[in-house]
Amino acid sequence: MNSISNLEYVDKIILSITKDIKKESIGEYQVGYEVNQADVHQLLSSLKLEGWKQLSYLSAIDWPEENKFEVVYVLFNWDKPIYVQIRAKINRDNPSMNSIISIFPGAKYYERETHEFFGIAFPGNPEYKKQLILEQWDDIPPLRKDFDPSAYSAKKFPSREYPDDFSVKDKDNQVLEKNAKRKKRVKKLRTGGKK
Amino acid sequence: MKEMKLFLGPQHPGMHGNASVHMFVEGDIIKRSYLLPGMLHRGFEKQMERKLWVNNIALIPRVCVPEPDINEMAFALATENLLKLEIPERAHWIRMIILELARISTHLMAYGGLGGPTGNYTLMYHAHVDRNLILDIFEKITGARVYHQYIVIGGVRQDLPEGIEQDIKEFIDDLESRLSEYRDLGIDNASIVKRIYHTILLPEEVVWELGVTGIGMRSATNKPYDLRKVTPYARYDQVEFEVPISNYSDARARLDIKIKEIQQSIIIIRQCLDKMPEGEVRVKPGRGQSMRWTVPKGYVYSPIESSRGEFGYYMVSNGGTTPWRVGVRGASYPQGLLGIEKYLPGTRIDDAALWVDTMGICSPEIDR
Repeated sequence: MNSISNLEYVDKIILSITKDIKKESIGEYQVGYEVNQADVHQLLSSLKLEGWKQLSYLSAIDWPEENKFEVVYVLFNWDKPIYVQIRAKINRDNPSMNSIISIFPGAKYYERETHEFFGIAFPGNPEYKKQLILEQWDDIPPLRKDFDPSAYSAKKFPSREYPDDFSVKDKDNQVLEKNAKRKKRVKKLRTGGKK
Repeated sequence: MKEMKLFLGPQHPGMHGNASVHMFVEGDIIKRSYLLPGMLHRGFEKQMERKLWVNNIALIPRVCVPEPDINEMAFALATENLLKLEIPERAHWIRMIILELARISTHLMAYGGLGGPTGNYTLMYHAHVDRNLILDIFEKITGARVYHQYIVIGGVRQDLPEGIEQDIKEFIDDLESRLSEYRDLGIDNASIVKRIYHTILLPEEVVWELGVTGIGMRSATNKPYDLRKVTPYARYDQVEFEVPISNYSDARARLDIKIKEIQQSIIIIRQCLDKMPEGEVRVKPGRGQSMRWTVPKGYVYSPIESSRGEFGYYMVSNGGTTPWRVGVRGASYPQGLLGIEKYLPGTRIDDAALWVDTMGICSPEIDR
């Protein structure tokens, strides 16, 4: 259970496939790599062969200034406890990333969700276009940074205008006026008519 | 026989939360099935990007309704990792007490949930009474019964109130003495033995294929795969406890592990109460104005062991006053969506509710 040697072990696997990486260490049990889009599948399958059998998380991040999406894969090995983040930047216009369900079958629903919330296509996943959580969504994918929820809700649910004022239900109801009069009288009685 | 479509949920005593299982059945046997999530989608991941780091504390407990504290812990751990913040020693121990009490309460709820699909309602009432006692303790500590907002970035919100140690000790002693009653009422109850023995099997290959974690994984692989042991957070490396395992995963084995884990949580709480030092419980997370502090750039995934499996927050900061991206990895994602689609077919209709109960499926965290 020596976690430093485990981190070196991950390094060795990654470097045997590609040298074009940006590494960052995140804590004792976690390490992150930014890699090229083309290397992702090879990296994931060789990590799986070496024991990183669990896909913990798959999602995307939007970077509108760079005009990129970043797809994230988090893998975990239960016997050599290291979380490995593999991240790859892809183009923001017509975003597409080949599916990984042939390597991790559990990614099927994560990819469907990522497609729904970011609009990234996952060719290779037969059902990635099916709707999952958002029912009959009719706008740009909502987790993109240029989607504004308050503008969407103002457009979708416009505030109503009422022709009549319904705040007082009964026009003959004089309760408010009566109460005001009573308060005035009480004040008068309390002060004995003096100001 | 003609194929027929049936729904389990969203309104059903055997369904936990607002999701529905669509089943195509022939006679008694499920031929195809899938889960329809989305009835509880509240757009939390988007909302969190628009709120200050500290404001999100009010939002995150709502991600998983029956077990809110794990959300607070995962969010706090992720933010502290980005901030490189050391929190006071006492706060670690208080967090562990809260998390273990939450684990007991969720296990009781799930174990009592066995009563719904099997018609054994007495068990459910017993379990909910005990869960209620835990909520009373939470109310004394945090002021709230369900959504505590107690584990915050930089420690815990306030120190434990006076005399609460005695209350917790009395409660866990009482519960421990009655755990055998729970066995008799539930898994050893002759009236439901046929429903839970050798049903809803979860073989080891399926665990690795779907990515099931937590009790499902430990019951199938016979290995102590528990994040509290494997990658210890808080002070779990300084307490002694066992991880219950088994090599045959049917509904009964998973429920049995739930009871054993309650026992282990009680042991952990006892050690925490003994070892907890005195001192501060909270540090200020950042410089600057009181709430508009910033967090350095970075990516972090912070997983913790919930009662249902690995539960984590994926957080990205770009150095601003709000998170850039927050992603929630629900513990029930693999078995809830792909598991129901692939491995529920072939079982009987009445097993679907037991699948949802014993696999620990929580629909709010699938929807978010």
